[in-house]
Formats: sequence, structure tokens, C-alpha cells
Amino acid sequence: MKKVLLILIASIFIILSGCQKKADVIKIGIAGPMTGDQAKMGTDFKNGISLAVEEWNVKDGVLGKKIKVIVSDDQHDPKQAVSVANKMVNDGVVGVIGHFNSSCSIPASDVYNRAEIPMITPASTNPQLTEKGYKGVFRVCGRDDQQGKVASDFIINYLKLKGVAILHDKTTYGQGLADEFKKFLGDKVKVVYYGGIVQGDKDFKMVLTAIKDKKPELIFFGGIYPEAGLLVRQARELGLTAKFMSGDGTIDPKFIEIAGANAVEGTYLTFSPDAKNIPSAKGFIDKYQSRYGELGPYSIYTYDAINILLTAIKEASTTDGKTVINKLHSMEFSGALGKIRFDEKGDVTVAPYVVWITRAGKFEEYWKP
Amino acid sequence: MDILYAICIYKSMFCVELFFALWYFFLLKFSVFLQQLINGLTLGGVYALIALGYTMVYGILELINFAHGEIYMLGAYLGIIFLGFFTAIGLTSYSLPLALMLTFLLSIIFCSSYGVTIEKIAYKPLRKAPRLSPLISAIGVSIFLQNYVMLTQGATDKVFPDLFGIAGFEFMSVRMTYLQLFIILTSTILMISLHLFVIKTRMGKAMRAVAQDKTMASLVGINIDTVISMTFIIGSGLAAVAGLMVAMYYGLVNYSIGYIAGIKAFTAAVLGGIGSIPGAMFGGILLGLVESLGASYISSEYKDAYAFIILIIILLLKPGGLFGRAV
Repeated sequence: MKKVLLILIASIFIILSGCQKKADVIKIGIAGPMTGDQAKMGTDFKNGISLAVEEWNVKDGVLGKKIKVIVSDDQHDPKQAVSVANKMVNDGVVGVIGHFNSSCSIPASDVYNRAEIPMITPASTNPQLTEKGYKGVFRVCGRDDQQGKVASDFIINYLKLKGVAILHDKTTYGQGLADEFKKFLGDKVKVVYYGGIVQGDKDFKMVLTAIKDKKPELIFFGGIYPEAGLLVRQARELGLTAKFMSGDGTIDPKFIEIAGANAVEGTYLTFSPDAKNIPSAKGFIDKYQSRYGELGPYSIYTYDAINILLTAIKEASTTDGKTVINKLHSMEFSGALGKIRFDEKGDVTVAPYVVWITRAGKFEEYWKP
Repeated sequence: MDILYAICIYKSMFCVELFFALWYFFLLKFSVFLQQLINGLTLGGVYALIALGYTMVYGILELINFAHGEIYMLGAYLGIIFLGFFTAIGLTSYSLPLALMLTFLLSIIFCSSYGVTIEKIAYKPLRKAPRLSPLISAIGVSIFLQNYVMLTQGATDKVFPDLFGIAGFEFMSVRMTYLQLFIILTSTILMISLHLFVIKTRMGKAMRAVAQDKTMASLVGINIDTVISMTFIIGSGLAAVAGLMVAMYYGLVNYSIGYIAGIKAFTAAVLGGIGSIPGAMFGGILLGLVESLGASYISSEYKDAYAFIILIIILLLKPGGLFGRAV
């Protein structure tokens, strides 16, 4: 009898603690690949966010409430992205920073649009995302059509090549970038090979052997760094000496580590200009590096994205989705990346891309269009 | 006369051209074929080694050991850990072959003990249960091991130290790295020795007896438990070697590599006739070749589909697999 009573009392306590009134907070959702082969991107993402949120919470948060971040893992899987999007909306987030991959951002944007909350992605560059006519979708990065144009200009005007091979990882981002690139090459450069690989695969020797036979001067890859690293390494193992070029998904120290410093030497990547050369970014970079070490390629974008959202909430003095979205469209924000303004689609008005090169195990800015 | 002469010259020129065209085709296209053959054999050897574990366990227990792919993944991780340890104590720079041999040996020992432990914990208590129960238990073990490695080793990709670089030799623009040669040779040697073990030794004979009829085998004095443990030791050891070689070959390891490798190897085992050892070897190599030649001559985008198309065709024509017993 005593035991039963004890259990009863204990369970009442548990129920009571469950009912305890939650502290008054403003919830912001964060979604990206927190586990899996792109977990590194997810960690960079979280670091940029926590730095910004900490700064806001020291100054008593926003609208007098503390900011609470809800981190969701979409595992770079579109299905998972939609499911975490629904979960976050049910949890009552007032806005979302994410997702990372275009293939996740696009389906998840449907959910946020229905819930009428703003979504700002720091890294999804596929044009489709902001072409759907959703008012609440924004991005602080550029678009693949802008990126593909810079890459093709580089090949036509600077390298003056005659034949290239194009590979992509069959994802929205990878294939999108590869297609934009191909479109801008037009008939000035011959595309000797065009094909897809499977994301997560480890053996690309077979497709590389087929490419070697076509003798391209350069291989362009639309995709993310794990596959890019393996592609470069295996191409060199096959004695394929063609140059290698890829987009912003590849610019990560892991790319060099996977491919090996020798194989990766002289590969080109399109990306936005070096944040270290942006005067307004200095404060952020120093702070980030002293706490988390080397800056991730998108850390600064996530930092600005959440700052923009919180500033819009502050200026609108409400968390109502519609009002915040309108505010985001009309305001100008100056953050670590400089001045940011959104056009009517939700894209940034200025999105510069440049070409980077890998030299002695490091990425450096190489060519401006 | 002039015209005839002209025709003769024209014809001979045509012959020369044809000769050059053929020569060109031979040199260029044949080299692509050879290159894909090497790529396919490397991959096929690895598939075969993993498939052997599936097929041996199935032959004896009639159980599809879904945790087998995870053993392969563990082998790759253990390789990174041991090699890292040997590098730290300076053995790798002292003698690379010695460090590698020890790494292989330790990975095999660890993976074999994992294999036997899994059998004792997850399959042995269910030996008399309906056939579905051990199968579900196997899936459970697989999920457990994946998450165990994810939590202890992290979710990110681990990079295997690059020991050999891109060193290799080239012949007629066909390139083979030393690592590829090593993989092909190792898997061939292991397969031959396994075959001899099963055919020639007492233990091999006992294994075949248990596979045929468990009750009868125990009646003539064969210790079934020992035979089953031995099967798991050998199968897991082979998977460890495969995992380690793949980690060296691609240089990239994460906790989920066991899943797709397991599915492919399982396909190879079914292709060759599950339960048959030569079948698994043949199935693995066939799978590797189909993937590489398909990627070259049809399209690389559907590389994974070719294996399953071949599987469907063979199962339609010969339901027991290529070397399997008739169903």
C-alpha cells in the first residue's frame, strides 16, 4: 500500500512539473542537416545562430522576451524537412532560419507559407525557391543562375576552354547549378559529357573512366563536398588530369581533407567574396574564431539571417507573421555582410559571386567577373 | 589503266584507314573496357567478401543476418582507430607494412568477436523461434550498431589517412593503383583459402554437414554451437577485411556505409544462390562488373539499378540463384 501511495505522489509531481507554465519566450526555428555527412554544415549553422542569439539575449531579447532557438535536423532529406517544418510550426515558432539544402528548403517553404511565418535561408541557392511566389520566403545568399553565369564566364573568358564535362548529384541544388552552368556555356564551349551521380555513393571511378575517354579540359560538378572530394581524388587516381570546378556547396575544409592536398591543388570554386575582406564582418569573424575556431563558409550568412529576422520583429514590434514579412520586404539591414535588401521575390538585391582557387590546402579568392 | 590504278590506291587507302580506325578503337575503347574491368573487379571483390558472410550464415542457420553490413562498417572504423593508434606510437613511420598487418589482424579479431557476441545474444535464444523472429532481431542489432557508432564516433564523415596516395602503374592509358591491385589480390586469396577450408578441413566438413541437416550432424557428434560460432567468426572476419580495404580505397567512412554495402552484398549472395559459397563469390564479382560496365556503356545515373535488374532476370530464369539448389 505504501508503495502504491509513493508512486501516486510521484506521478502527481511529474504531472505537475509537466503543467508548469513555460517562461515567456520568442521561439525561432533553425533547420538544417545536423547529423549525417553534412553535419559539419549544420554545426557551423548552429554556431552562427547561437552567437547572434546570445548577443540579443544579453540585451534582454526582443520585444522584452528572451529568444529561444528550436534546432531541427532535416538530415538533408526532403521528407524529413517537411516533417520537422510541421513540427516547428506546431511548436509555435515565429520564424525559421533554414533550411540548408535547396531540396529541403523548397518543400519546407510550402509549410511555412501556409502557416504565414517568415523563412530566411542562409544557403539555399536554387532559383526555384523564390520563384514560387511565396511572400514569406527570403534568402541572404545568391542564386544559382547568378553563380552558373560567373562559372561559365570564367571558363569562356578567362580559361578559354573548348570542352568540358558536367556532373551533378541529382539534387535540386546540384542539378540546378549544373543546368544553369550548361545554359550559360551556350555553344561557346562544347559539353563532352553530361550526367548524374548518386549522393552518398563512394565509387565514382566508373563514371570518371567514361569521362576520361571523352578528354574534357575541365570537369564541372554541381554538388556538395563529400562527393566532390571523392571525385577529385578518384579522378587523379585514374590519371585524369582535367581541371576541376564546383560551386558553393563544395567550399569546405573537408573537401580538401577528403580529396588529399595534392589532388585538390588548383581546383576552382564559385562562392561569394571572402568575408575576411568585408570590413563590416571583422567583429563577427573575430568573435566566431575565438569561440569556435575556423569560420565555416556559411556561418556569417546564418548570423546575418537571424539578425535580420530579429530586427524585423523588433521594428514591427509584433511577432505576427504577416507584419514581420512586410517589414522584411521594406527594410534595409546592415549586418556583418554589409547592407542587405530583399527584392519583391525575397532574393538579395546584390549577390556577388567570385571564383576561388585551392592552393596549398587553402581556399583563396582568385578571379572577379 | 590510270583509273584502275587510282581505284587500287583508293582501295588500299581505305584499307589503311580501316586498319587505323580499328587500331584506334582497340587502343581507345579497349582501354576504357579494361579500365572498367579493373574498377569492377575491385568493387566486386569487396562485394564478394561481404556476400560470403551472408551466404555462410544463411546456409547454416537459414537466417538473413542483416547486421552483417554493420560488421563491415565496424571493420572500417576499427581500421581508422588502430591505424591512428599505430601512427601515434610511431609504428607507421617505422614500418608501414607491419602497421597495416597489425591493423588488419586486430580489426579481424574485434569484428569476429562482435560477430560471435551478436550471435550469442541476438540469434541463439531465438534458434527455436519462428523464422521471422531472428530476422527482426537482426534488424534490431543493425539499428543498434549504427546508432552506437554514430553516438560514439560522431555523425560526420571520418577521413581515412591517405597511405598510398595515387601511386600505381599505367599501361595503354589504363591505370591501376597499387591499392586496387592489393584489393583484388587479397580478396582472391581469401576466397580461395575459404574454399579450401570448407572442402579440405574437418571443420569445413562439419560446416557442410550442419548446413545439410542439423539434427543428423549433432547425432554423429558434431558440436553445432562451435560450428555456428566458427561461421560467424569467419564471416565477420571477411567483412572486417572488406570494410578496411574499402576505407583505404575511398578514404571516407561514416556510420551508414554498412547499409548500402549490406544490401549490395545481399543481392550478390542471392544472385549466386544464397547458401552457396562459390555462388557468393561469383555473384559479388558479377555485381561489380555489371555496375562498372553498365556505368560506362549505358549511363552512370542508374548504376544501382543494374544490379537489381540482373537480379530480377536471374531469379525469373533460375529462382534458386546461379549456383543455388533448386527451389
